[in-house]
Amino acid sequence: MSQLDILLLVLRVAFGALVPLCFIAVLVWMERRGAGFIQDRSGPNRANIFGFRAAGLVQNLADAIKLITKEDIIPDHVRHRFYFVLAPVIVFFISLLSFAAIPFADILVINGKQYIMQAIPTDLGILWFLAIAGFAVYGIILAGWSSHNKYGMLGGLRAAAQVISYEIPLVLAVISALIVYGTVNLTEITQYQGQLLFGFIPMWGIVLQPLGAIIFIVAAFAESNRIPFDFAEGESELVAGFHVEYSSMKFGMFFMGEYVAMFTSSAIIVTLYFGGYQIPWFTTETLVNHAGIVSFLLMLIVPAFAFLFSLWMQKNNKRPYAMADDPNIRETAVYTKLLWIVVGGIEVLLLFFMVLSAGAAANILVALLQIATFLIKTTIMCFVYVWVRWTLPRFRYDQLQRLGWQTLLPLSLLNIFVTSAVVVALS
Amino acid sequence: MSGKAKILERKGKDFYERLYLVEIFKGMAVTFRHFITNFLDNSKLYVRHYPEIKPEITPRWRGRHRLTTHEDGTMKCVACFLCQTNCPANCIMIEAGERFDGRSEKMPVRFEIDLLECIYCGFCVEACPKDAIRMDTGIFSVTGQERESFVMRLDALLATPGAFTEEEYKKGGA
Repeated sequence: MSQLDILLLVLRVAFGALVPLCFIAVLVWMERRGAGFIQDRSGPNRANIFGFRAAGLVQNLADAIKLITKEDIIPDHVRHRFYFVLAPVIVFFISLLSFAAIPFADILVINGKQYIMQAIPTDLGILWFLAIAGFAVYGIILAGWSSHNKYGMLGGLRAAAQVISYEIPLVLAVISALIVYGTVNLTEITQYQGQLLFGFIPMWGIVLQPLGAIIFIVAAFAESNRIPFDFAEGESELVAGFHVEYSSMKFGMFFMGEYVAMFTSSAIIVTLYFGGYQIPWFTTETLVNHAGIVSFLLMLIVPAFAFLFSLWMQKNNKRPYAMADDPNIRETAVYTKLLWIVVGGIEVLLLFFMVLSAGAAANILVALLQIATFLIKTTIMCFVYVWVRWTLPRFRYDQLQRLGWQTLLPLSLLNIFVTSAVVVALS
Repeated sequence: MSGKAKILERKGKDFYERLYLVEIFKGMAVTFRHFITNFLDNSKLYVRHYPEIKPEITPRWRGRHRLTTHEDGTMKCVACFLCQTNCPANCIMIEAGERFDGRSEKMPVRFEIDLLECIYCGFCVEACPKDAIRMDTGIFSVTGQERESFVMRLDALLATPGAFTEEEYKKGGA
C-alpha cells in the first residue's frame, strides 16, 4: 500500500463515520427550526456563545452538555443491566454502520488507480444496508424488554411488529429496483442513474420506478421509526415507549441514533431513487473532460450564492423590535466577513483546479463536486423527513398494519411483475 | 324535548382519501407554504420576544395584590377580615390593631399574603367593602430564591402602585 492508498482509506472511513455524526447536529437543528417555521414560531434562537448563536446551532451544544451532565440512572427493577446498557449502543452503532456501504462520489481515479468512494468498499451494496439496518430494531426491542416496564415492553413489541410488516414491502421494492439496475452494487446503481432517458430526462430511480420509490420511501419512514410511524415511541399512548426508563446519555444515544438512522435512510433513498451523487445531465466523464470550464463556472456561481446568502442574513438576522446598537447586526457583520473569507478560499482552490485542469486534479474536483451534490440531496431528503413529521399525525395501529399488509405488500408484488415484464420485453 | 340531530358526513372513505398520498401532498403544500414564507422573511412570526417585549396587561387582569390608600396616604383597609374569610386558598393572614388616624377604629398591624398559596382568584378584591385590596398592579411574574420572599407583607403591599388610572380600572368592571 502506498501512502496515497492509506490517506484515501483514512479519508473515506472518516467520511463514513464522521459525516453522519456531524449531521446529527444539523438535523436536530433543522428539525427544531423547521418545526418552528412550519408552525409560525421561531424555534430555539437564544443560546449563544459571546453573542454568536449560529442560527440556533449553539442550542445543540447546550443540549449535549445537559444530557452529558444529567444523572445516569439504571432503575433497580432492571434485571439484565448488561442488555439495558447494550440497547442504546446497538441502536446508535447499527445506524452508523449502515451508512458505510453508500457511495458518496464516483470511483476516483488517481495515477491510474481506482478508489471506490465508500467507507467500506464492498460489492454487497444494498444487501449490506438491508442486513445491517434490520438489526437496528433489535436495539429497540432489547431496550423495551430489558426496561422491565409495561410501556417499554409495548413499545418494543410494536417496533418488532412494525418492522416485520414494513421490511417486506421495503425489500420487495428494492428487488424491483434491482431488476431495473441489474446489480446490487450501489456504485454501479448510481452510475446507471447517470444515463439519460430519451436523451433529456435523467435516468433516476424515481423516473424508472415511481411506484417502487413511493413504497420504499414509505417503508423507510417506518423503518426509521419516524412520524407517521413512530409507534415504538408513541408519547401520547406509551409515555416514551421503548426509552421510557432511559436517562442522560443513554437516552442521548437513542436520540442520536434516530437522527443517524434518518440520515442513513435519506442517503439510501437518494442513492437508489434520486441519482445518488450524480449531478443531473452531467456525467462524470463530461465533468472530468471539461474540468477547466466547470471550475470557472463554479468560480462565478459560488460568490453569487454567497452574495444572496449574505443578503438573506442581513434581512432576517435582526431583532424584530427597536433596539439601540442591535447585537444581531454586529453578529451578521462577523458572519458576512467569515462567509467571504470562506468564499475566497474556495475561489483560490478553484483557481488551482482551473490551472491544473487535467489528470488527478480534475478527478479530485469532480469527486468533491459529487460529494457536495450527494450531501445536498441527502439534506433535502432529510428535510422531507422533518417536513412530513410536522405535517402528519400518527397512524392508528390497525391502520398501520392494514397499510403495510393490504396495500404496500400487494402493490410491491405487482410492481415486481410489471417491472420484470417490461425489462424482459425491452431486452 | 328532543334536540335536532345533525348527521355529519364521515370523511376518509373516498378513493382519493384512501390513497392517502393526495391528501398528504395537500397537507404538505400547506406546511411548506408556511415554512418558506417564514424562511425567506422571519418578521411575521407569531412570536412575542418575551423578555424584551412584555405582554399587554388589561385592567381586568388579576396580577399581584396591593393595598390601596386614601389621598392623604392613610390605608383604606379597616381589618374587617372579609378577604381572609373569603379566601379559598387561605393565603391571607391579618392581625388587627387599634387605629388612631380618625378614619375608623381598626387597622391591620400585620397583613400577609402568601403568594405560593394564592390562586389569584380575585375573591378578596370582590369581598372588600372598602376597595382596599386590588390586583391591578400588572405584575404577572413573581420570582424569588427562597420561600420567605414570596410572603408579601404590609409595607410591600402598600408600596406597590397600581398600573392603571382610576378610570381604566373602573371601566374594567370593578
